[in-house]
Amino acid sequence: MEMLTRPVSGCITIIIAAFTLLVANGAQAERFELGASADEADAVIGCLYPMTGRSATYGRDSIVGIQIALDDLVAETKAGLTPPKLRVIADDPRSKASYAVRLAQDFVAKDNARFFCGIVSSGVAHAVSDLARQEKIIMVGTDHASSRLSIEAGHDYYFRVTNDSWTSMAAGARYLRDLQKETGWKRLAFVGPDYDYGHVSWTDLQLALDGLGVEYETVSALWPKLYEPDYSIYINALQSAKPDVVVTALWGGDFIAFIKQASTTRFFETTRLANFDTGANYDVMMALGDQPYPGLILSARHHNNWPETGRNKRFVAQFHDLTGRYPTYAAEGAYTGVIAIARAIEKAGDADDDRALIKALEGLQLALPEDPPGFASYIDPDTHQIVQAQAVGTVVHNEDFPPSKLMVGNWAIYDAEDLKPSKEMVKRRRDAVAGGSEAVPPPTP
Amino acid sequence: MTSLLAVLIDGSIYASWLFLVAAGLTVIYGVMRILNMAHGSFYAIGAYSAASLVGWYFNNGIGPAWISYLLLVGAALVAGLIVGVIIERGLLRLMYGRDEILMVIITYALLLILEDTMKIVWGVNPYFAYQPYSELGRTSLGLLKVSNYDLSLVGVSAVIGLVLWGLLERTNTGKVLRAVIHDREIAVAMGVNVRLMFTITFVIGTILGALAGALTAPAISVVPGIGIEVIVLAFAVVVIGGLGSIGGAAVGALLVGLSRAAAVHYAPEFELFVIYGVMSLVLAFRPEGLFGRTLARKI
Repeated sequence: MEMLTRPVSGCITIIIAAFTLLVANGAQAERFELGASADEADAVIGCLYPMTGRSATYGRDSIVGIQIALDDLVAETKAGLTPPKLRVIADDPRSKASYAVRLAQDFVAKDNARFFCGIVSSGVAHAVSDLARQEKIIMVGTDHASSRLSIEAGHDYYFRVTNDSWTSMAAGARYLRDLQKETGWKRLAFVGPDYDYGHVSWTDLQLALDGLGVEYETVSALWPKLYEPDYSIYINALQSAKPDVVVTALWGGDFIAFIKQASTTRFFETTRLANFDTGANYDVMMALGDQPYPGLILSARHHNNWPETGRNKRFVAQFHDLTGRYPTYAAEGAYTGVIAIARAIEKAGDADDDRALIKALEGLQLALPEDPPGFASYIDPDTHQIVQAQAVGTVVHNEDFPPSKLMVGNWAIYDAEDLKPSKEMVKRRRDAVAGGSEAVPPPTP
Repeated sequence: MTSLLAVLIDGSIYASWLFLVAAGLTVIYGVMRILNMAHGSFYAIGAYSAASLVGWYFNNGIGPAWISYLLLVGAALVAGLIVGVIIERGLLRLMYGRDEILMVIITYALLLILEDTMKIVWGVNPYFAYQPYSELGRTSLGLLKVSNYDLSLVGVSAVIGLVLWGLLERTNTGKVLRAVIHDREIAVAMGVNVRLMFTITFVIGTILGALAGALTAPAISVVPGIGIEVIVLAFAVVVIGGLGSIGGAAVGALLVGLSRAAAVHYAPEFELFVIYGVMSLVLAFRPEGLFGRTLARKI
């Protein structure tokens, strides 16, 4: 009755709701199809990257990274070489594991994909990695970073081509060891997102510090949820614990929010804040404005200003030419993923022989933008994790990559071989899972 | 000792924020019997409006910092008023008298629509408006340095609680509202314009939600999804205190705030658990909440 007596306002409400839904639906990103056509392609790669939501920047940059890789392969063809013709399809898993698995299944069933790539969330990557093992599809992880994926949950079909949480924390532990010699710091705190990546990062850091014989006291370990908007209570708790160094695994907007909120307190006057895996990403550099907060120690999986090699400068310039802006590390990760697949197909000689492809990827050497002079990244045959050098540094004024006014500098460089997990540690972690424990074993005292 | 003081201060600040959010929710339920899932969106709209306005104000260097506090409140009042009137007149008015569960579903649908609408309007990148927060400086309490903005939030929260209590208990409008709460049909028979009362109540609730968002905006990063996180916490608070009770919302907010602060300082792994642990404990012994009344239902 109410509806009948108010037909006009009822209709207006329905029209507004329908219009809103239409606009919202129209705002959703469509899937990307890049490279060779379905008829011409030697292999199809199905990639999962966020195109909407808070991580969309990483998805967009990854698509550009893929385009640069495909352009490089076309240039090789024009130069008389015979790289494989690749077709890359990218879609948005919307940070949902079940939806990502459904998309990946469609890649295989409808698009005849022989490879999976991408994925920002470690949780989503776990689900797709399981599917890759079941379907015997090779998965090349380019962004998610939990070392659990390549160590405890590693399998024949899973590979990672950017630094994982172990590599970053191993580099971070070395930086902290050297810093301790200079400053004598003792009190360590950790704050990380309350999901797999955060917890694995903390365990990786402790294992790495213990492996180096660094003596320290853990004064606090805090676990805000992913996408927490208000860090004030955590910042207060950290200040109460009086740490000399706070290491964080917060990333993207969460890390930026933490810095901004901490900057309204005396946090940076009393402690150092280190982020060894994602902190030096270009979106963080932009968000810092012109404020080089004292005590920030940062690194990332790729830097626009390190190494200063022709290969890295060319990659950054290619990205800038295509988009008019500078890349986050996601772009180089996606670039590496496509190049790794192309080189594996070349080496295996057959894009459909999964055993030959796995063999080709194991130990595969790749000359990448983030490789320092004289070194080429390679994929560890045991863990299927790429082995790379890592640079850690502090924030300096640098306006070479506008609009950012700051970049990381004062680099400390750590050799790739030193950052590999030891065979003993890998075995111990895998044995713990085989023994029924889901958790990464705690560091030995 | 310092840690205990930190728990009390952090807990009180968090509780005042929770109360600001929960107050609007409980007022709307108390009078209209609507479990308003979209309340979180009103909070988010208030936060986005305030962050945009304050950001624009400071980026253009228009005037003194104290005006930004007026902008925060002004943004909340305007946003809450506009959104409240549109939703009450355009949607909820068509649904009055329907089952409470249906109203939950309708307001949940509204929450989803508003969340996506906000993404279209404000995008997905965080908004920061820290100037009003940092401008007020900090005060030493023992060994702790506490933000004056946070402390003033406790005061604002207390004032809003008192004003709401006074409005409901000490004014004619409040008496009429309580009459509507007690028996809507008798109130109509006595000549009370219930529809107008509903509009007034809903707009007050919407403004309270938007005000909570606007006053919180300088302390947080304003991002998509903050409304959804808030509504879950706000429901926990009003369920603990008793649906429809302002005093209950205040006590519920204090319980949740202090428990969470204690967890963060002493047992961080249990931070999320304690909030819902407290709620479960209260409901186990008082299913109607601490200050809720058992109501006889007309069949």
